[in-house]
This record gives sequence, structure tokens and C-alpha cells, in this order.
Amino acid sequence: MRLFRTIAAGLRSLLQRKKAEQEIDEELSAFLDMAVEEKIKRGVNRDEALRAVRLEQGSREVSKEIVRSAGWESFVETLWQDLRFATRTLRRSPGFTVVAVLTLALGIGANTAIFTVVNGVILKPLPYPQPDRLVILLEKQLSDGTLGTVAPANFFDWREQSHSFDKMAAIDPSPDFILNGSGDPQRLTGAAVSSDFFSLLGTHMALGRDFLSEEDRPGYNRVIILSYSTWLHYFGGRSDIVGKLLTLNNSGYSVIGVLPRDFSLVSKASDFQSRNKFDLWTPLALGSPPEPWQRGTHPLSVFARLKSGITSQQAQTDLNQVAANLQRLYPADDKERGITVVPLSEHAVANVRIALFTLLAAVGMVLLMACANVANLLLTRAVTRQMEIALRVALGATRRRLVQQLLTESMVLVMLGGLLGLSSACLAVPAVLHYLPADLPRASEIAVDGRVLAFTSLISLFTGILFGLLPFLHSKQVNANESIKQNGRGMATGQSRLRSALIIGQVAVALVLLVGAGLMTKSFWMLLQVSPGFRTEHILTARLSLPPQYTNGNAFGIGQHRKISAFQRELIGRVRNIPGVQSAAFTAYLPLGGTDSSWAFDIEGRPEKPPGVYDITNYRPVSAGYFETVGIPVRRGRGFDPTDNEDSPLVVVVNESMARTYWKQQNPVGQRVRFSDQKWRTVVGVVGDVRHEGLSTKPEPEMYIPYGQIANVESHPTIVLRSLIEPTSLTSALRKTVSEVDPGVPLDQIETMKQIVFVSVGEPRFRTAVLLMFAILALFVASIGLYGVMSYLTSQRTREFGIRMAVGASRGGLLRLVLGQAAKLITIGICLGLAGAMVLARSIASILYGITPFDAAVFASASLVLAVVALLASYIPARRAASVDPIVALRYE
Amino acid sequence: MPLDCREVGSVSEKTGELVQGTLDMLILKTLALESMHGYGIAVRIEQMSKGVFKVNAGSLFVGLQRLQRAGLIRSEWKESENNRRAKYYSLTALGRKRLDSEARDWGRQVAAIARILEAS
Repeated sequence: MRLFRTIAAGLRSLLQRKKAEQEIDEELSAFLDMAVEEKIKRGVNRDEALRAVRLEQGSREVSKEIVRSAGWESFVETLWQDLRFATRTLRRSPGFTVVAVLTLALGIGANTAIFTVVNGVILKPLPYPQPDRLVILLEKQLSDGTLGTVAPANFFDWREQSHSFDKMAAIDPSPDFILNGSGDPQRLTGAAVSSDFFSLLGTHMALGRDFLSEEDRPGYNRVIILSYSTWLHYFGGRSDIVGKLLTLNNSGYSVIGVLPRDFSLVSKASDFQSRNKFDLWTPLALGSPPEPWQRGTHPLSVFARLKSGITSQQAQTDLNQVAANLQRLYPADDKERGITVVPLSEHAVANVRIALFTLLAAVGMVLLMACANVANLLLTRAVTRQMEIALRVALGATRRRLVQQLLTESMVLVMLGGLLGLSSACLAVPAVLHYLPADLPRASEIAVDGRVLAFTSLISLFTGILFGLLPFLHSKQVNANESIKQNGRGMATGQSRLRSALIIGQVAVALVLLVGAGLMTKSFWMLLQVSPGFRTEHILTARLSLPPQYTNGNAFGIGQHRKISAFQRELIGRVRNIPGVQSAAFTAYLPLGGTDSSWAFDIEGRPEKPPGVYDITNYRPVSAGYFETVGIPVRRGRGFDPTDNEDSPLVVVVNESMARTYWKQQNPVGQRVRFSDQKWRTVVGVVGDVRHEGLSTKPEPEMYIPYGQIANVESHPTIVLRSLIEPTSLTSALRKTVSEVDPGVPLDQIETMKQIVFVSVGEPRFRTAVLLMFAILALFVASIGLYGVMSYLTSQRTREFGIRMAVGASRGGLLRLVLGQAAKLITIGICLGLAGAMVLARSIASILYGITPFDAAVFASASLVLAVVALLASYIPARRAASVDPIVALRYE
Repeated sequence: MPLDCREVGSVSEKTGELVQGTLDMLILKTLALESMHGYGIAVRIEQMSKGVFKVNAGSLFVGLQRLQRAGLIRSEWKESENNRRAKYYSLTALGRKRLDSEARDWGRQVAAIARILEAS
């Protein structure tokens, strides 16, 4: 109530300023007049009375001012005054204002944009209720600590035997569905989940209902939940979709629900084999208890929600018990297996955290440099305004009042800069999203939100105070007398020291950024120089999805591999006839395609291993002609021929890594190996290594098997074409050929090999490009700053230069003098910068490829580039100083 | 002019709080009997304190403004005894209550301080 009255009264006097002032005036006059009359009544003469009252009461204007400034509204008023004054002064020097505002807008805008990305990917809480209780559970290989996905039978036991979780649910990301209906068959990406998967995450359906636990049993699981985009895209967003029967893989499934629009499954790129945008979901329908063989295959990702109050450490202790139990019960599969709990929020962004925080630090440095530049500009202005400030001090302005006014000015600048920066960031964010690496987790959550706005306001405020107060700090010993006497000429001591410090700082920060960008660029260049082990030019790839009559509806078990290879032979025969196609082949796992599979194996004649210990190799079903088509060189023996089919002796080809690892100096050709299907296969050749996981990942042992000789059909065959012409021009011919062979086979993920390589280095390319941009920006900002300061310093010394020339200094000598001064600052800056760069280099060491963090060439060339640019920036003012006419210089000022 | 005179309400860094509160209380007390204009209040305080307190116009009007915003007094323009327009202040019900409570508190404090000073 009282507050309200105070505010109301304040507002009233603000709005009716004239009236309020008149009242105060009138009241005061009345008071003083009465006092005078009183004195006259007592017999004092009029002049005496006036004098006495003035003595007693002080100046009328001062009293008025005291009353006026008592209410809160007076603060608003001075602020308003200061604002008007600030805009007036800023408008009077448009050059300064434009440069300062643009510099700040650049700094603040870049920071806002990068923060928006970091916020969306790392800082925002996960988009689920109580996200800190969500964890991921992984199997841990005790021998080498690698983490991996989970066997269904293990998941079953974990859920039964652990006590730390409210819920535990698994997701199998492999099922695919071919939607038959009107038009071409469509391939839909599916996921099979435990019935409480969505309730674990806290997701409610937009339409229909969640899975029931009785639907999570084999034979009862013909129900699906659609993703929102699938519902919109394939079913027109019709609200009567729930209850509809769909034909998927030639069977009927009924739709029970639709996920909300904003649902997204937070995961890391490598989870779910790069396919975390699922079109539809079915129940996992794990048998209870599961089959014994379900302990030997590891397709599941396990999510869990901690019981409230339980930490992930406590859960880890709990699961260690469970793991020990399983190791004892199932030594054949679980002897070497532990369980690891990882909070979901850490799991998803573990790989990008360093890169993103490096970018945030870098962009922060750019902002600091922008601050330094604006502070420098303000310093220059402060010198010319020293007279004004001294006058104000002489007239009784308090320190607080001066600071308030100077801060208002810098706040006006920073507000303009901040607004400009924010709006350009808002425009830039969609563009940035476009260039983000395709596999960045949580990219869909990147948006300008309240948190971003708060961040921008905060850094703007911080920036404004920082550069606004810097010039004031040094001028705190403003001596009114001295300044007025000097008539504003000359420089306050300490000024040039502060300027030099700013320049040194800028040079140092610029060098840190340059070295960082240099390291990233060189590392990226090294990455691109890596030979992937296959041909990237003129290769077109496309994924086929085989309907159930080929795979027998079973993703893991025994498929109709005869039927598959017959289809492949037929298709390849026709594809080879397409004009422009040189050769064609099939592979189950495309290099850099993000999918992979491995299998345990034995070599004939080697001693038997203890239970639970295996040799594991990646296995790759390929068709005849694959090595020739993709350009993988055959080093020894032979590749696959069309005669290596279902009926011929079983053969395999190994890669060089495998030959080296398991046969050392021996020739593997002619040796025999077997998988758990117990069939011996003869090694007929050795081929070159391929970077399958990524360009930066070392090749691993691989074994190639002819398509017809392996029952495994869990992956979708990818057709690879080598062409004489631009490969993308073959797309429609390929589509037509496939539908001629079987119109029920959908074709998708049509990409050239070059695109696949390009996408695979998306993340390093993004961070390198952004950091390089910041470094160039920093170099630019630093050289502008240096130019400004050197110009100012030399202009201050014009008279001195004139004298020097008059007494015989040569132009070259003067040039050397000025450049020497600049060189000193630059050298100190570079030395400090090198130290900072080493700290940065150490912290980004883990994301560099192919170079050491202290790469001498990068450090040296970054320093050199900076030194040259900085010297050039100071050369212009130096030359101006050297070419001064002594007569003019002496008359200067 | 007595030498020991003190300006009530002058902004003193050390005793600002106390002085401010005291002036407010004195104004309220003065207005308890009848409504008054600013000069009247100043004179009355000076008289009642037998010249110990002299009230400065600036401080007085700041105090009046503060009290009015707090709803303890109200004001209206009236003709003064010698035909001059002046703003007359009077207590509100809230102000009367406040005066009572402050006077009580003040009495307690003074008594307590006096006891302490006598004890030594």
C-alpha cells in the first residue's frame, strides 16, 4: 500500500513536473517570506531580515534542489537527462558511434549465436520431466573398458535384479518396416521399445494411448505408435488414425497412438547406428524369460529412471552386484562384462562438449577484444572531454554523478550494439543451423529463448560496465585545476600505459585465437588428406529395403539368403546395362555409413580360448565385384568372383589390419576361420584397409564374406555404382531398374560417396570454419585497434617529431622510432599470447587429428602472420608521422 | 542564537537514520494539535524545543514529502492568517497511530538510555 502510494506520488510528479516544481517553489517562497516577515515584525529592518534568513536557511535554489531530489522520481529524471545528453553527444560524433556500435554488435551477435547453439545442445535441461534422474546403462568390456549396447537377456536380468530404478526400458533400433499402400512402397525406420519406455521418459501421447504391458509379449505386439512427422507426412494428420489397421511388412498392425510434435529421443550420433529419428514404434516383446541365444547378441540401448533420491553412484554400486552375479551365472557370455551407468545428459553430448566450449571461449575472446577497442576509442574521447569533466567537477559534480553519466553513455552504446547483435544473431541462427554437422545431438533444440536473451543482456551489461568504466578508472585523479590550466592539451599520465596494456592484450588474445584456428585447420587438413581406403569420385550409393519374403520377417535369424542373392544378381545384371554405369556391387555396411557389425571367430589350428574370451572381427557381406567397384585394392590372393555363391566352397577375404593382427608375418591366404555357425571358411585374399568408422578412426580387423554364403540379413543391402559420368544423374535410371526387378522394394538414402565423406567430417569442418572465422575477425579487430592507438600516439607526439626533425632527425629514423614502439608492444603481446595459446592447445588436444597440440609450424606461422599484420597496421601512422613538415608540426596545437 | 543549536534534519552521515526518524516524529507531534503550514511547523518545533532545534526549510519539506507519501499526513492549499496562499498539513488517522507508537517507543528508548548512563 505504502509502496503503491510512493510510486503513484512519484509518477504524478514525474508526469506533471512543471506543476510539482511550481508547488515546491511556492511553498518554499512562502516559508522564506514568512520567516522574513516574522523578523521584520520583531523590528529588524528588511535588508537585515533578508540576510539573516538567507544565512539561516541557505540558498533557496539549494533547498529547492534538496527537496526535488528527495523522491525516487528524481533518479529517473537524471537518468532521462543523461540519456538525452548521451544521445546528443553520440550523435555529435557519428564516426565514433558507428564504429563502436558495429564493433559491439559484432561481438555480442557472435556470442549470442554461439551461445544459442551451446545452450540448445548442452546447457538446456533434457526435454523430459526430472531429466537429472535419467541415465543410460551400457555393457562394459572389462578387458579394455569399451562401452557397448546390451544383450536382451542381460537387460532382462538387470531389470529383475537391480533396486535403484523406478523404471528400466530398452530400445532396439533395428526393425524396419515397409509400408504398402497406395503408390510406391515406403521404407519406415522403426524402433522396438519396452512398453514403459515412453512413461519412463515422461512422454504423453498427442493422440491415442501408450503401449500396455500385455502388448509387450511375443505374439501380442502388432500395435504401433507413430511419430508426429510420420503421422503428418504419410497420414495427413488425420485425427481418426488411432485404431486404423496398417499393412507393414505384409502384416497388419493397428495404430494406437501418435507421439507429440516436440518429442525427440536425445542420443549421441553413434547410438542407434545414426538413426535416431524413428518413424514408428512397436513393443519390444521380449520373451520372459528370454532365449539363451539372446545373451550373445547385443542390439539394445537401455534407458532407466533413477528412484528419487538415488544417485548414479549408488545405482552403479547396485549394478556392480548384478554384474558380478551374471558373470558367475553365465560365464560363456558375461564373464568379461560389467555395467556402466551414464547420466543421459552427459552421454549425449560427451563428444561435442570440448568443441562447443572451445568455440564459446573463442567467441568470448572476440568480445573482449571488441571491448578493448571500444574502450580505446572512449579513452581517446576522454582526453578531449577532460576539459568538460574538469569543469563539471569544478562546478560541484560528485564522482557518483560523473560515473552515472559516463556509464549511461556507454550503456546507450552497448544497448544499440546489443540490439543490433541480437537481431543479427536471430537472423543468423537459422543459417547456422543449416551448417551444423548433421550428427550434432539435440540440434532440434537450438533456438533463441529466454536463457539466450538473459545471456545477451548479461554480457551486454558486463561489456558496457567494462569498457565504460575503464577510461574513468584511469581518470579518477582528475584534478580540476590542472586540467583547466592545461586547457585539455596533452595526455594524462597513465593514459598511454593503459592504452599499451589494451593493445598488448588484444595482440595476445588474437594470437591465442589464431593458433587455435591454425591447429584446427591443420588438423582438418590432415584429416582430409587421410586416404579412406576407397574411391570417392564417381560412386553412387543407395539403400534397398527388402520386404519380408526375402528376410523371412526375421531381422536376426536365418533369412532366405538364396532369394536375396538371386535378387541381387538379377538387379546387378540390369544395372550394369544402364548407360554410364561401369560396375555395380552390393555391400551390407557402407564405409562411413554409420552402421557396422562384428562377430566372434576362431582360426583353425589355434589353441582353444577360455570361456568368455573371443577374437572379434567386423564382418562385411559383399557381392562379387565390390572391391573393384569401390576401389579397395586386393593385396594378396583374389577378391570375390560370381562363382563364390551359395553352392561353392565357403570363402572369406580379410583386410590388412586383420592379417597383421592375427597372422603377423604369415600369409593368411589358404588358412581357415569359422564363426559361431561352426562352418569353416577359407581365406582367399587380403585387401587394403578401409576407414569404416570415420576418417579419424584407425582401421580395424575386417572380414568380407560373399553375400550368398552368409545367412545374416540384419542390414539392408546398399547398392554401389561406379559411373563414368556424374553419378547423381543415374538416380532415376537406378530407381526404374529396381522397380522393374521388384516393385515392392523401396530405395532410399541415395548419396554419392563424396557426399558421404563430406557429411562424415561435418563436425570438425563446422568447428574449424567457425574458429577460423573468429580468428580472422580477431586479427581484424586487433589491427584496427593497433592502428587507432598508434595514430593517436603519433598525433600526440607531432610537436616532438617536428623538433626532432628540426634538429636533424631523418625520416627513416622517425619511422624506425614509431615502428620500434609498436614492435615492442606487439612482441610483448605475442609472448603473452604464446603462453595462452599453449593452454588452449592443451585443452583441445583431444579433438585434434594427426598433429601434436604444440605444432611448431602452426605456432610460428600464427605469430608471423600476426606480427606482419600488426606492423602493417602501425606502419601507416608511422609513415604519417615521419612525413610531417617540421614547420607545421611546431605550430601544431 | 544559542551556541548549542542543532539543525534537525541536516543530512549527517553518522546519525542520518536517527535524525531523519526524529524529525518525522517531531513533525507528526506538531501536527497533532492542528493543521499547519511549513513555516508554522518550523517555528513551532523551534519554540517547543526552546531554540535547541532549528529546522532547515529543505530538510523540512523533504520530511513532509516523505510523510505524505507514506500516507501519514495530508495537505491542502489554504489562505494563511495574513492572506498568503500556503500549503497546510494535517495528520491522517494512520499518522496519529504512528505518532502514538513512535512516542511510546521513543519514551522507552530514552528511559533505557538514561538508565544505562546513570548506572555508570
